[in-house]
Amino acid sequence: MIARKIMLLGEIGVGKSSIAKRLVLDHFEFDYKPTIGVDVYQYDVPDDAGRPGMRLIVWDTDGNFGDAIFRHVYMRQASAAMIVGDVTRRGTLEAMAKLGEGFLDAFPGRHFTYLVNKFDLLAEGQLPDLPEPLTRKGISLVRTSALTGDNVREAFRAAADIIHRRAL
Amino acid sequence: MPQPTSSIAAPSDGTAVDAATILATGQHAAELGLFGLVWLDTELLARSRFGTLVDFVETGRPVTDSLPPLIGLEDDIQALKETPHRVLELPAVALVTSAGPAPRLNFTVFWISTAERFLLLVYRASSRSDIEVELTRQVRGRLIAEAEVQAKSRELTRANAELEQFASIISHDLKAPLRALRYLTDEAVEAVVNGASDDAGRLLGEMRHQAWRMSRMMSSLLEYASTGRKSDMLTMVDTHALIQAVVTSLPKPPGMSIEIAGSWPKIETLEAPLDLVLRNLIDNAIKHQDRLDGTIRIEAVDTVTQLAVSISDDGPGIPPAAHESIFLPFRTLGGPTGGTGMGLALVRRTLETLGGRIQVVSGRDGSRGTTFLLTWPRTISQS
Repeated sequence: MIARKIMLLGEIGVGKSSIAKRLVLDHFEFDYKPTIGVDVYQYDVPDDAGRPGMRLIVWDTDGNFGDAIFRHVYMRQASAAMIVGDVTRRGTLEAMAKLGEGFLDAFPGRHFTYLVNKFDLLAEGQLPDLPEPLTRKGISLVRTSALTGDNVREAFRAAADIIHRRAL
Repeated sequence: MPQPTSSIAAPSDGTAVDAATILATGQHAAELGLFGLVWLDTELLARSRFGTLVDFVETGRPVTDSLPPLIGLEDDIQALKETPHRVLELPAVALVTSAGPAPRLNFTVFWISTAERFLLLVYRASSRSDIEVELTRQVRGRLIAEAEVQAKSRELTRANAELEQFASIISHDLKAPLRALRYLTDEAVEAVVNGASDDAGRLLGEMRHQAWRMSRMMSSLLEYASTGRKSDMLTMVDTHALIQAVVTSLPKPPGMSIEIAGSWPKIETLEAPLDLVLRNLIDNAIKHQDRLDGTIRIEAVDTVTQLAVSISDDGPGIPPAAHESIFLPFRTLGGPTGGTGMGLALVRRTLETLGGRIQVVSGRDGSRGTTFLLTWPRTISQS
């Protein structure tokens, strides 16, 4: 099984670790424990429709790096990034846009997906207030909830499809 | 246990005994569980390992099979051969699989030129005390709270500016009809005292007019104040049907023509505010037209994020000096329009509340015609 590296990026407290735990362990921890150092998650995506199985090595950093993450050894040979924001905190969504631009500058041609997390906290029918760069045509954006698990595994499966298709 | 000492012990430089002693000591410490050692060949295959901390490393296999965090770092490890004084460090890494998390470990890779091997040193990351973890949690909580306070502060500043504007409007613009009422009352009392009933009747009529004017101003102000409350429900709106309905409903001179062009999509949005914006702008263009055969052109451009609408007329134009003031409450350019001067103020406030924008292009070089350009967001937050 081939292995590919995916970075989880985003401001502190947006739910990066919760997404990774939902992906790998399929559970949600209500007690917020900040990540200290780096957690590396291993998740095997089963083969599907012509794409062989893929081992995703998901790097969850502690969120304090800002733009410096792109120059860090942690980022070496990352095939893709999942850039996470908290739908209830506008500032984190604006930070997502900056991280997206930074990722494209540092890793041209690599794939990234915006994960707009904590959708479960929006009232029914309430629409998110997304910054313009996140709504551009062609942008890959998935609305997730680590609490309910909505779209988490689907987002990573879709990323695996793109990594395979584009031989990243 | 496999012993890599043969490659170390080559007594070429007279340090073999020291190296062997150091290695033996290191292996002993590894067996005590203080750290783990893994020897890697130049292909990064794990050749031997020492210590329980690295029991999970499979010898004879690529080290990345056992240690996925090293995936992607192969080139960096190989580069250590060129700069032997350097090491590659990965501090405080925890590997989490479906079986659960492993202990948090520090990884350091060295190039040992005398052995022609890489040495991977693995040791436990110093465990964080509960106090440290709690401190980190609190610092992060504070950072999040500060960001939220800043956002609220910006909103408060905006609200304060609006409040000041309101106070200014009420003290300045409502003063005029109040002052007129006071003078008219004095004059009416005097007319009654003097038995001038015709004058008294005329003055009472003027008082009624001023009271009516004040009432209209108050109603407009209340409408203006409530514009910021996004209480309407999002509905699917056919914007082409909406613009046609607006144009049809507005009275206009028989010779005036209104053209609707461009791309008008169906969008999920707030219908009443969109109606208000379009209605006021078109009504303005009609009312300020000084020609009987004037033309108004309304064109929409639909993009991914917004609906851009331009409303152009061939009327007298608006001097550049008035381009900002026309959007203030109770401001008019004069002329017999019969308006309260609140239309454009309502339009701008509505757009700004919902994330849209408006600008006016007119009066350059004294030429005729005015174009209002507005953007209406396709996604509206009701948070």
